[in-house]
Amino acid sequence: MPEKPAGQDLAHGVPPIAVSTTSTLANRTGSWKYIQPIYQDRVAPCNAACPVGVDIEGCMDLLRRGKLDEARDLMLRENPMPAVTGRVCEHPCHAACSRGAFDEPVNIRAVERMLGERDLGARTNAAKPKGGAATPAPAAAARPKRKEKVAVVGSGPAGLACAYHLARLGYAVNVFESDPEPGGRLRYGIPEHKLPRAVLAREIDRIRAAGVTFRCDARLGANLAWETIERHDAVFIATGAREHEPRDWERHDLPAVRPGLDFLREVRAGEPPTIGRRVVVIGGTDAAVDCARTALRLGSEVVLLFHGAREEMEADAEAVAAACREGLRIECLARPVGLQLAGHASDEEALEAIESMFEAGDPGLPRTRLVGVACVRVRPPAPGEGGAPGRLSVPGSAFVVSADTVLTAQGAEPGCDFLPPDLHRRGFTIRCDEWGRTSKAGLFAGGDVAGEPRTVAHALGAGKRVAIGIDHWLRQRAGESPPEPDPKALRYGANGNVSITRWRGDDPVPRVNELNEVVPREMLNFAYFTHEPSRHDRWSAPGYGTSALAEVNLGLPPADALAEANRCFNCGVCNDCDVCMIVCPDVAIHRHAEHGFSLSYKYCKGCGLCVAECPRGAMTMTREGL
Amino acid sequence: MTQIPLKELVPQEELMTSGHLACPGCGGSLAMRLVLKTLGPKTIVTLPACCWTIVAGPWPQSSLGVPLFHTAFETAASAASGIRAALDMKGDTETTVVAWAGDGGTFDIGLQALSGAAERNEDILYVCYDNEAYMNTGIQRSSATPWGAWTTTTPLGTPKSHPKKDLLAILAAHGIPYAATASVAYVADLVAKVKKARAIHGTRFLHILAPCPPGWKTSDEETIELARMAVLNRVFPLIEVEDGRRWRFTVEHPGDPVKAYLKRQGRFRHLTEEQILHVQAETDERWARLENRVAHGT
Amino acid sequence: MKKVIMGNHAVSWGVQLARAEVIAAYPITPQTQIVEALSEMCASGDLKARFIKVESEHSAMAACIGASATGARAFTATSSQGLALMHELLHWAGGGRLPIVMADVNRAMAPGWTVWTDQNDSLSQRDTGWIQLYCETNQEVLDTTIQSFKLAEAVDLPVMLVLDAFYLSHTSEPVDIPEAAEVDAFLPPRTARYRLDTSDPHAYGALTTPAVYMEMRLRQQEAMERARVVLDEIDAEWGKRFGRRYGAIEAYRMEGAELALVTSGTITSTSRQVVNDLRERGEKVGLVKVRMFRPFPGEALRGALGGVPQVAVLDRNISPGHSGIFAEELRAALYDLPPGRRPAIHGYIVGLGGRDVTPATILDCIARARAAAKPSTAPEPEDIWVGVTP
Repeated sequence: MPEKPAGQDLAHGVPPIAVSTTSTLANRTGSWKYIQPIYQDRVAPCNAACPVGVDIEGCMDLLRRGKLDEARDLMLRENPMPAVTGRVCEHPCHAACSRGAFDEPVNIRAVERMLGERDLGARTNAAKPKGGAATPAPAAAARPKRKEKVAVVGSGPAGLACAYHLARLGYAVNVFESDPEPGGRLRYGIPEHKLPRAVLAREIDRIRAAGVTFRCDARLGANLAWETIERHDAVFIATGAREHEPRDWERHDLPAVRPGLDFLREVRAGEPPTIGRRVVVIGGTDAAVDCARTALRLGSEVVLLFHGAREEMEADAEAVAAACREGLRIECLARPVGLQLAGHASDEEALEAIESMFEAGDPGLPRTRLVGVACVRVRPPAPGEGGAPGRLSVPGSAFVVSADTVLTAQGAEPGCDFLPPDLHRRGFTIRCDEWGRTSKAGLFAGGDVAGEPRTVAHALGAGKRVAIGIDHWLRQRAGESPPEPDPKALRYGANGNVSITRWRGDDPVPRVNELNEVVPREMLNFAYFTHEPSRHDRWSAPGYGTSALAEVNLGLPPADALAEANRCFNCGVCNDCDVCMIVCPDVAIHRHAEHGFSLSYKYCKGCGLCVAECPRGAMTMTREGL
Repeated sequence: MTQIPLKELVPQEELMTSGHLACPGCGGSLAMRLVLKTLGPKTIVTLPACCWTIVAGPWPQSSLGVPLFHTAFETAASAASGIRAALDMKGDTETTVVAWAGDGGTFDIGLQALSGAAERNEDILYVCYDNEAYMNTGIQRSSATPWGAWTTTTPLGTPKSHPKKDLLAILAAHGIPYAATASVAYVADLVAKVKKARAIHGTRFLHILAPCPPGWKTSDEETIELARMAVLNRVFPLIEVEDGRRWRFTVEHPGDPVKAYLKRQGRFRHLTEEQILHVQAETDERWARLENRVAHGT
Repeated sequence: MKKVIMGNHAVSWGVQLARAEVIAAYPITPQTQIVEALSEMCASGDLKARFIKVESEHSAMAACIGASATGARAFTATSSQGLALMHELLHWAGGGRLPIVMADVNRAMAPGWTVWTDQNDSLSQRDTGWIQLYCETNQEVLDTTIQSFKLAEAVDLPVMLVLDAFYLSHTSEPVDIPEAAEVDAFLPPRTARYRLDTSDPHAYGALTTPAVYMEMRLRQQEAMERARVVLDEIDAEWGKRFGRRYGAIEAYRMEGAELALVTSGTITSTSRQVVNDLRERGEKVGLVKVRMFRPFPGEALRGALGGVPQVAVLDRNISPGHSGIFAEELRAALYDLPPGRRPAIHGYIVGLGGRDVTPATILDCIARARAAAKPSTAPEPEDIWVGVTP
C-alpha cells in the first residue's frame, strides 16, 4: 500500500472527515458582553485610618516581595520616624485592617518599627539599636535646593515632620526649640521605657541629615525674638500644649502636688526624681499612664484616679493594661475633692526619731505634708440627665486614698502669650485650616497648638499637611502657579490623612486606574487566604532600679515582622497574584511583563468572575466604553 | 504564605484558546482549562455529546491544543478504551487518554460504558464535569440533578423528586485505583488531584462540580462562589477514594446551612421551608455516611 | 497450510494473519468461537494485539472507533442483536471514514429469540456506509477477512464480512491458510493519514453545518465508488498470489441462460449443485452469486443479467412492508436496462430464521419462476414466500 500523502486532502472544498484546521480565535466572543471588567486600584483601609498618612499597604507589598529597602524608603516618604511611631502609635490601622474580619489584624505597628530599625541591626549586632547613624532620607526623592527659608517653632512631632518634609522639598529649614534638646513630648514626655532617647536621637539625626538645622534653648518671648522668626519666608508654630491649668482643689504651694508633665520632664532630663512612696496620679490621659508607669519603676505604689469608666480613658488601652500588669491600681469613677495634710505621717514618727539620732539639727521635713487625697465616687448621668462627665457625685461615697505625691495629668493646654495678639484663636488653640493656614499670611500652625487630636501620629500628620500648605504658599509667591492642594485628591479615601507623595507627584508604586476610595469590604474575597494567627509584640517584665528605664515592649524580631507583613491582604491594590488570570474561563487575561495584566476585550464575555474572585477588590465591572 | 499560592501551583501553559462558545461564566469551560493545563500537551481527549461538543467550536475550529475526538453520547469511556489500546500498541506510554463527559453522558446514558471500563481498570482518566442537568439540550433533568431542582422536564409543581445519584460510591465500588470529587472553586485541590491522577495507571475518575448560569438560573459571576458554597455546606464534599477503600476528605467542610445556597439559585427558588429542611436533612445524612466511610472505609 | 476448520476460526485465522492491533468484542452466539480463538492467539502471543473484553457490542464498536481513529488496525465480530445494538456507531465508523473490519455472523433478529441464520441483521445496516461482502465458503471467509483490511485501508471505509450462522460459522471445511510472510507481502501495516496524535493535534467530528455536510457525504459516496475498482484490483492480486479469485459477483454457468438464480451466502453453494444438475439435463439455468452488496454492483449485475429473460432472486431476508432486499435492489439496478434486455425479476423469500434451503426449495423457486413466465398466468405478487405454512 502506498504511503499516504501528507498535507490536506481536499475535494469539493472539504476534507474527507470533519478534521479541524484552525483554532476558535476567529470568534470574537467579546462582542457578547454588555459589561466589562477593568483593573482599578483603590485605597487600603489601613492607609485611610493612619493619622500620619503612610502608604501602609504599599510598604507591606514591597516587604512581601523581599524589597526591604524600598519598603523602608516608601515609609520614609511619609513618616520621618517609623522607629518612634512603631513604639508609641496607638495603631488605628489595626482596627481598620480587613484581616481583622478574617482572623486577626496584621501587627502593622511592629512592622513599621522593624522598618524604622532597618540597617541598625545590620551595623550593630544587637536587637536593641545602639549607636550608628540613622538611615538618611531616600536620596531618590531629593529635590533641587530652593532659596526660601522656613522657621519651625517647636520640635515636637508636628514641627519635626514639617521640617523634614520641607527639607525634602528643597527648602532651608531652621527649627527653634525652647528645651535643651529637640523632640518636645517625644523627648520630655514619653518615658524611656516606651521610647528610648537613643532611638529618638537617631530619628532626629535623619531629619538633620535632610537639611534641617536646630537651635535649642531658644524660647519665643524670652531669648528668641519674633523678628528672628519673621525674617524667614514662612513660619510654622508647633509649640504644642504643655500648660497646666490648676483645678480648684489644688494647692499651688505644695511641692508634693505637681503637674505630671513636669515630673516626666524631670525624669527624662536625667534629673533626680522627686516623688514619694505613695503616688496618686489624676487623669486618664496617656501622660497620666506614663506618669504612673514611671513612678512604679521608681519603686512607688501608684493609684490612678479617673472620673469615668476604665474604657473611657483616653490613654492607649495597651498601655493601661501594661500598667495594671506592672502593679497600677486604678480607681475609676472617682474624683478628687481635696487634699489631706498632716504634720507628719503617723508611721514616720519612729523613722524620724531614728534619723534625728544621726543628723544634727533640723530634720528638714516639712511641717505640712501631704498624707492623702479626699475623693468621692461619681456616677455617669442617667439618660436624659445633664451634667459634665465626672461631676455627678454619689452621696455618702467619700473615701481617702493615702498619698504623699499627687501628679495631675488631666490634659494640658497650649500657651499663647508669645503669639501675635491679632492671631485668630479658638479658645486656647490657634485657628487654622487643614493646611495649617492661619489668619496671618505666611504664618502656619498645627499639632496640639492648633487643637488637633493629641497623639504623636496626628501631630506627624498635621506637620505633613502644613508642609504642603507652606510649599504651596511659597511657590505661589515665587510665581510658579502651583495647584491648590485638593483634599479629595491628597487624602487617602474620603477621610484619611494626606499623602505628600501624591502632592509631589512622584509615587514609585505602579497603580492602575487609581480610584481614591477605600475598597469596600464586600469587594474582598477571603476565600483565597489561609488562616494564620497574628504575631503579637513581645513584652518583657518591667525593670526596677537601674533597669527601670529598659524597654518592655520589644516589638517583633525582623523575621517575624516580615512574616507579619506577609499576612497583609494588600486590600484594593493588585499584587499580581494571578487569580483573575487563573479563573477566567475564556483565557482572556494575560500577564504584562513587569506588573499587572492585560485584558483581551476581543474575547472577554463580561462574565465578571475575575472581579468577583479578586481577593483584594482591585478590579471593577463597568459599562463605560460599551 | 497568607494567600494560597495558585500562581505557583497552577501550570502556566495554556492548552485552550479564547473564542470558544461557552456561555459567559461557564463552570465547565473553566474546568477544562484547568485540567488541560495540569495534564499538559501529551493528552488526547474524547468528548461525547454534551455542552463541550459545541463549546469546542464547529468544524473547522478547535479550541483545544490537544487532539480531540468527538464521539457518540454513550461512548466516552469505550472510545477512550479503544484509543488507549491503540496507543499501547504503538508503544506510547506517556500520553494520557481523557474521557471528558457531562453528567448526562456519565450518570445516565454513558454509565454502562464507564462501568465496563472501570471494571476492566482501563488506563484512562475519566472526567465528568457536572452541571447537574442536560444543559446542552436546554436544561432537562438527569440523574445528577439534585432533589427539588427545577428543570424543563421537572417543571414547577413536579420538581426533581429523586436524590442525586451517588456516583462516587458507584465508582468506588468498582475498586478503581483513584476516584475523586473536585470543584472549580478549589483550584489548588483540583490541580493536585489531576496531577495525582495523571501519575496513576488504571481507571481514574474525577467528578467536577461545574455550575451553569443559565441552567441554575444564577448570575454569570457567581459560578465560582456557588461551587465554593456547595463544598462549604457539604452538598458537594471534596473527597478522594483510593482503590475503592480508602476515603478521605481533602478540604475542610464547615457545614454551612444549605439554605443560603438554595436561595441563591433560581432553580431552587420555589422550594418551601419544609423542602429546604428536607434538603438539609438529606445533606446531613449523606455527610454522616461519608464520615463513616472516611473513618471505616465502608 | 491446509486445515479443516470451522468458519468462525477461518475469521480468527484471517485476523491473526492480517495482524490486527486492537480487537474489542462481546460474545454472542454464533460468533463466540471467533473471539475465543482470538483470545487464545493473543494470550499465546501468536497475535500481538490488545483485546478489550468490552461490556456490550455498542462499546465494542466505540472502542474500535477510538482505536482506529488513533491509527490502529481494529477488528470486531458480532451477530444479530449485537450488530443492531451497534447501529448508531456503524454510522459513526462509516461517516468517520475509519477502516474497521467486522465479521458479522448472519443471525436472524429477535423476537422470538433465534440463533439461526438469515440476513436481516446485516442488511438492516446497509445504509450505514459499510462495505458488505457475503461469503460462501470457509476458504472465502479467510481470504475475505484478510482482503477486507486491505480494501478498508485503501478507501478509508469500514468493511463488514458476512458468514451464515452455523452453515458456515460452525461447519468445518478444509481451508488453505496462507503463510504469514505471504500475507505480510500482500498487506503491509496501516499508515493512517488522519489520526489522533499529540504532535499534530486536531479535533475530529465537530459540528458541521449544512454548508459542508453534503460535501463530506459526497466524498464518502465517492470512496464507495472507488471501492469497486479497488476490490477488483485486490481480487486480481490475491488471485496472482494465492490462486483464488472471487470478484464482486460471480457468474456461474450463465452461457445462454434463460433463467438465472441470484443468491448470496451458503445458498449459493446449494444453488451451484442445482444448476449443475439442471445443466446436466440440458436446462439453460445459470447462477449469479452476489458477493459484494455494498457498494452495490449494479453495473456488473446489469452486465451479467441484461438480456436474461428470467431472474429468480433468493432472499434469505425481508424488508417488512416491501420485499426481499436483494430482489428490491436488483430491480432498481436493472430498471434502466433497455426494455428488450430487462429481465423479469422474481423474488423468493426463503430460509428465514435458519430454515433450511434445500435443493428442493430452489427447484421450487425455479418452477414458480417458469410458471410465472407463461402469459396466461395471473401477475404474481412481488415476492413469493417459499416453503411456508400457508
